[in-house]
Amino acid sequence: MRIFVFLTRRMIFAALLMLGVSAAIFFLVNSIGNPIELMMAETPGMTGEVIDRMKAYYGLDHPPMTRYLLWLSRIAQLDFGTSIVYNQPVGSLIVTWGWQTLKIQLPAILIALAIAILFGVTAARRQHSRSDFAVMATALLGQSLPAFFLGILLIFIFSYSLDWLPSYGAYSTRNPLWGSPTLDALWHMVLPVAMLTFFNTATLTLLMRSNMVDVLKSDFIAAMRASGIPERRVIYVHALRAAFIPMLTYLGLLIGLMLGTAPVTESVFTWPGLGYLYISAIHQLDYPVIMGASAVIAFMLICTTLLTDVIYVLIDPRISLE
Amino acid sequence: MSDQTITAHPPSSAKPARRPVKGIWRQGWQRFARSRTGMLGLILVLLVVATAVVGPFVAPFDPQDQSPMIDPGAKAPPSWVHPLGTDRMGYDVASRVIYGAPTALAVGLGAMSIASLIGVLVGGFAGYRGGTTDEVLMRFTDFFLVIPMFVVILAVIRLLGVAVVNTPFESVPYLNLGVIILLIGVFSWAPIARMTRAEFLRLKNQEFVEAARCIGATSGDILFRHILPNALPSLVVIVALGIGGAVLAEAMIGFLGFGDPAAVSWGQLLYFNYEALKVAPWASLSPGVAIFITVLGFNLLADGLTDAFNPRAKR
Amino acid sequence: MSSLATAKPTAAMSIDDRSMLTPPVHDLVRVENLRIQFPPWNAPVRIIEDVSFQVRAGETMGIVGESGSGKTLSSLAILNLLPPPARITGGRIMFDGEDLAAKSQGEMQKLRGRRLAMVFQNPGYSLNPLMTVGAQLGEILKVHEKMPRSMALQRVEELFRLVGITDPGSRLSQYPHEMSGGMKQRVCIARALLCNPALVLADEPTTALDVTIQAQILDLFEDLKARFGMSMIFVTHDMGVVARIADRITVMYAGQVCETGDKHAIFARPSHPYTQALLASTPRIDRRYAIDGEGRRERLPTVGRAVAPGQSLGGGCRFAGRCPEAAPECSRLVPQAAAIEPGRVVHCLKRGSAGVASHD
Repeated sequence: MRIFVFLTRRMIFAALLMLGVSAAIFFLVNSIGNPIELMMAETPGMTGEVIDRMKAYYGLDHPPMTRYLLWLSRIAQLDFGTSIVYNQPVGSLIVTWGWQTLKIQLPAILIALAIAILFGVTAARRQHSRSDFAVMATALLGQSLPAFFLGILLIFIFSYSLDWLPSYGAYSTRNPLWGSPTLDALWHMVLPVAMLTFFNTATLTLLMRSNMVDVLKSDFIAAMRASGIPERRVIYVHALRAAFIPMLTYLGLLIGLMLGTAPVTESVFTWPGLGYLYISAIHQLDYPVIMGASAVIAFMLICTTLLTDVIYVLIDPRISLE
Repeated sequence: MSDQTITAHPPSSAKPARRPVKGIWRQGWQRFARSRTGMLGLILVLLVVATAVVGPFVAPFDPQDQSPMIDPGAKAPPSWVHPLGTDRMGYDVASRVIYGAPTALAVGLGAMSIASLIGVLVGGFAGYRGGTTDEVLMRFTDFFLVIPMFVVILAVIRLLGVAVVNTPFESVPYLNLGVIILLIGVFSWAPIARMTRAEFLRLKNQEFVEAARCIGATSGDILFRHILPNALPSLVVIVALGIGGAVLAEAMIGFLGFGDPAAVSWGQLLYFNYEALKVAPWASLSPGVAIFITVLGFNLLADGLTDAFNPRAKR
Repeated sequence: MSSLATAKPTAAMSIDDRSMLTPPVHDLVRVENLRIQFPPWNAPVRIIEDVSFQVRAGETMGIVGESGSGKTLSSLAILNLLPPPARITGGRIMFDGEDLAAKSQGEMQKLRGRRLAMVFQNPGYSLNPLMTVGAQLGEILKVHEKMPRSMALQRVEELFRLVGITDPGSRLSQYPHEMSGGMKQRVCIARALLCNPALVLADEPTTALDVTIQAQILDLFEDLKARFGMSMIFVTHDMGVVARIADRITVMYAGQVCETGDKHAIFARPSHPYTQALLASTPRIDRRYAIDGEGRRERLPTVGRAVAPGQSLGGGCRFAGRCPEAAPECSRLVPQAAAIEPGRVVHCLKRGSAGVASHD
């Protein structure tokens, strides 16, 4: 029962956070000027009358506060408006393009987690050994290698030099690879997923290692060994669980970072995801898409934090639900 | 741990000489000097700083000089005259990479100064006052942690670019770069505030602070002479990491084409030359390597600083 | 229930007529010239140097020494669980006629928890915070006795009752953080006794507890020893605690044994200068002591001169630097075991030990 109270409280807090973040985005963007006026400033030959009609059409002829409430009430009904450039509902644009983002980010985080556990645990068990040093050095280097630059390197090596993998897009426009759209899509995913995985793995491995080193030094692990629990179980069940808990917070932040930098990583591969949609909307000043996509990205970030909190409670009995 | 317990001291017949009392910074430096990663980081950072300071005097070409367009032509491979080749627009890549260093450092230091100022103020106040103040300020900080900063910065820069047309702001030099620095700073203070708060909470109840209070030190004295200096080592680590992060953020903004057209920045070099990656890889890879070295330098520096000031955090 | 009551079969008695020092009583554990080192292996720095002692079946051996004297490392060495990079570099640990130091980790794993068990110093840290105590203890039974879950929990509950845990049934589903320190230590003791071990190693099991709880836990140990008949190695720095719980005592200083013998003999006639200093420095309720030499009150004796920790790990007797009786040869020659009474051994050149120059 207490878990439901806890969940409700967290959800209310998340909703408030969402409200705050959306307001911040809205007013920050609107404080610069009326979006339609700014947009039309780049289009030659726009008369004041046309601009006024456009404003009315997109509901931008009210003062900012009214507009914010209007926008909010529409978003609450999942109505994000219509894209100026695509002339499609922003909601459906976000769903199609957002799916492509998840398609590369989800595998990247899962693969990274598996690698981080494998290498982090191995390095921690052989602390100060040569393999530990190798893992640490690689991870430290990997942590500093910007994801987008890594993407450029991958394209340079695997697409341009070796000609093994496609350098852009989520699928071939004409002849799908091996005649199978599924394989073709997977083939296109390889490089973007590799880039994001590498980016995630470095820090996760370092964290996994240092948490594991701490846990392996703790008395309860010594006590388990002294009780004759097989080493494999001690490490991969008990120690791993304890070492994993502090990583959750970071995992949440990492997913946030990955989502937040999607505009960059997706631009490298011309990947038709949410970030790419966002960038093209900004370039073309497609105001409804800018607002909708940034709200959705913020929403996903907040959901990640919420999810992290909930998982914490589920796996760590020490956390009280108060 | 084992090092300390088993190091055999040379047996001395005289009574042990009293070791001079060392400050937290000197002790830290001694530990830092022993950290291989930290020293490598320091060397890389100094390399970048040296490039930024000396570079403009030794760079073979002016960053705005497009004359190589005529002689070796655009996208010319590396040669003696152009050690890193020329780029798509006929600039000398080496010179532009060198001129990118001061920009990168300006962004890193500028943004982190802003972030540190806000972060220390908010976090320090929350940690020192505690109670409701703490609760409210920390919720405010949480809020800044979940704002997708990158997304917001891009939108603001783009719209601002349009809004300033035909206004007096248009002629402000490096306006775009200034706004980028400001925004990166404004969106990166949350981790610093959290760290400051944690440190202030830890320190304010320690005995030396109690003692200072007992002998009648003012709040200002306690904050600035007793708590802040002791919180600094941890803050230095997170700020060093933040500088690398800010350089990277600016590079990404530049890479997407939202950088300051008047400034020479590594991200923008990538933006201009990425299309020609296949024909002239040197023009894209060189600024990329420069970003990597700078970020790596600050990350390693932070790693060494952790070794120096918070050795228990690792191992 | 039934297996708790059955006595463990004893191994064939080994009569070691080479040794004049050990009386012909069955030794369950015989630590012989144990050496533990940290890298670098070529450096002559040994954290444990030539430590020998015996524990007879059914007796409690108290190992006494100040922190850093190597008592904890010695007991971890018996379980073959030295924290890396420490390693056993010499000597034997005979248990039931087998050398534990030569066994593989796989073989040791089958002995740990079943024939050998350990109670750690800090009950707050030695239980897995993420599992209920029932699940943690049940897992040990599942590993060693292949018991199904329900049976294992029944057995755990039974042991909880034996170690004096109130309402044992409902405690099973509690997490360690929901228990008091004393209760957690009782759980740890129950864990050690789960499989009815032949030897229990207790590493300062009362140090982290309140004084009143300490007394209760000591009572419990005495009670359980009578009930289970196991041998025990009780490591502590507290002379008062050994006086109560031990049958025999080994005094250690900086990784060397000072003396071994019957409890009463050692308290009545301490032989080694370190033991003498240690006993003299225990405050007595019937005396008044001066603080900083004021008045005519007597000063509480202390173990003389603190010495840099590294220095005392050099050659010779490691106590020499603080010893009031030290002669020049004491810091050069390592004192060997000398029998001074039946069952009593001392390592001191001034008490008749032979000196050996180097151990390499």
